[in-house]
Amino acid sequence: MKIKSLLIANRGEIAVRITETAKKLHIKTYGIKTAKEPNALYLRLVDDVIDFSQSQDEIPEFLDIERIIEAARQCKVDAIHPGYGFLAENPYFARRCEEEKILFVGPSALAIFKMGNKTIAKQIAQRYQVPLLQGSQRNVKNPQEAAEIAANIGYPVILKAAAGGGGRGMRIVEKASNMEKMFKMAANESEKAFNDSSLFIEKYVRNPRHIEFQIMGDRHGNYVHLGERECSIQRKHQKLIEESPSSAIDEKLRKEMGEAAIRVAKAVYYHSVGTVEFLLDADKNYFFMEMNTRIQVEHPVTEAVSGIDLVEWQLRIAEGQELTIKQEDVKLSGWSIECRINAEDVQAGFSPNLGIIEKVSFPKGKNIRIDTGITDYSVITPYFDSMVAKLIVHAETREKAIAAATAALKKIWIRGIKTTIPFCLAVMNHKKFRKGDFNTSFIEKDMDKLYYNDEEDEMLAAYVATFDFAAELETNRTAKPDFERGRNISPWVLNKRLKSL
Amino acid sequence: MKLLKIKKQQEPEYIAVTQGNKKYVIRNPFSDELKINGHKQDIKIFEDEEGFTFLEFKNKKYLAEITDKSQNKYTVLLNGLSYSFTIESPISYRRRKYLEKHKEISKLEVVSAPMPGKIVELLVEPNSRVKEGEAILILEAMKMQNEIITQVSGKIQKIYVKAGDSVAKDEVLMEIER
Repeated sequence: MKIKSLLIANRGEIAVRITETAKKLHIKTYGIKTAKEPNALYLRLVDDVIDFSQSQDEIPEFLDIERIIEAARQCKVDAIHPGYGFLAENPYFARRCEEEKILFVGPSALAIFKMGNKTIAKQIAQRYQVPLLQGSQRNVKNPQEAAEIAANIGYPVILKAAAGGGGRGMRIVEKASNMEKMFKMAANESEKAFNDSSLFIEKYVRNPRHIEFQIMGDRHGNYVHLGERECSIQRKHQKLIEESPSSAIDEKLRKEMGEAAIRVAKAVYYHSVGTVEFLLDADKNYFFMEMNTRIQVEHPVTEAVSGIDLVEWQLRIAEGQELTIKQEDVKLSGWSIECRINAEDVQAGFSPNLGIIEKVSFPKGKNIRIDTGITDYSVITPYFDSMVAKLIVHAETREKAIAAATAALKKIWIRGIKTTIPFCLAVMNHKKFRKGDFNTSFIEKDMDKLYYNDEEDEMLAAYVATFDFAAELETNRTAKPDFERGRNISPWVLNKRLKSL
Repeated sequence: MKLLKIKKQQEPEYIAVTQGNKKYVIRNPFSDELKINGHKQDIKIFEDEEGFTFLEFKNKKYLAEITDKSQNKYTVLLNGLSYSFTIESPISYRRRKYLEKHKEISKLEVVSAPMPGKIVELLVEPNSRVKEGEAILILEAMKMQNEIITQVSGKIQKIYVKAGDSVAKDEVLMEIER
């Protein structure tokens, strides 16, 4: 079945991203308007807008399964793309789409369910000879049971939400005395985020790398992998910088891990694009962590090095098309880095920086890609996650990619909010990162300073402040009738006026 | 001689003091003969057609914005980072120095919300003793649970919030007596 119309049940940059590919494939797109973001950029790009802004519902718009299904039926769309987050990995939502004969752009509800439940996923991985970490083979009920298992496999251990993802509902327990507190926090967070407080426990590998493999499978039993992504630059389990390939993986390991990833996908008859996540320890042993049954935030780095449009294949596979790409056709070239630009204040412990974007400007270039959901006057609300844009660069070598990312980051101007750009610059500038010598504790252990600035920056800022202060003093001193009351004159204009007096 | 002295006094001088008490002595901010900490500097300030304010210094462009000011307290955002200053005249600077020397340290530490969010759980009760670095409550913001940690050791005096409350940035949460 050819998809002619598509409801995008998501917002922000990913809604924009999906719209772009849909346009290329001549698919009519529908976006969902919410009261929280009625003027969002993605709504200007879709062909038609479904208005949820009058909603009195308790359930957040993008989580409201029945409402989205109802809207899809009314608009008679052929398919729903869930993006990432929200309902993307909700098996019940995929099931409801199947029931309503709407194509869900993703794998089957059963595959989502199996992979979404970490304990089942681990059992599957084990059955298909994919290496696993020691831990509970099922959910643990209470802190006491967790402590017993931990005593067996040895501390440190990690508690994870069975229904989890994105770093939420996860806690590392270093010693037995912390178990009760950490268990409570993880269960609490998991209950809130996923409506399911069940946890499982596993051995915690210190300082591992986070390596994930992009796979694609169709409904005809064909599978390929598109190499790895290195996502070790994380803070509180949230990825901040990703790249492909990884400096830790050679051709042999890539083949081995790629094949393991495909075995996991095959086991659940996975038909879509998906990601299998592994931990890689210092001795290059890899362990299956989980499978993400959706398009991921960091998918553009794989697109850059493989030249494959993943959203296009998601849609084509959903239509029932056969993969025309064979493993031997997959040629990965060059190096790609993605920097996530979040509305966060790096100087205040990455706290959310809400506000209105007064002005934004991104650099353009052959090897620069910007995926963003914001534009001038966009509002950063507390209702959604803090990511506002992604910078993706692609170059021949890792060294050149780092240089390109640095140059591009310095040309992104955003006025109105603070972002993680100074953080990204600090990483690009870090000796160990440049050498490719890092792991998931990089931010915590290797970074002395979480943001980058030049020596002179403070002096320049001092000058700006003093200039403005002096200009205001000057206006008060030369108090003539001032119809603008000084308020609307920028100090630089004032400077010109003062000089011309 | 007298004339020369008067002229020198008229050349305005300002002192921008950072939070870490670093001094930038800036003379003649409007003139082309701008001096910072005794060195002549070539800085250009301008606005581009897109409405961004830039500084030009040593052939490099810097994006700058005053994000907060009240009286002589300024916060400037430069290249995405905040810098805070108090701008003083030579006289007010001397007064400030004097006051700092004679200031008393407050016994009460006020804990405020570092970010807007929702209180998930209070980990302390009034009158409980806390140690520096201990978690006192959990604040949920942007779907993440954050432990709020006390910077001082002492006794919890007052708690202004309860679990389930939504709080704004900088809202006072607790008071701790050192």
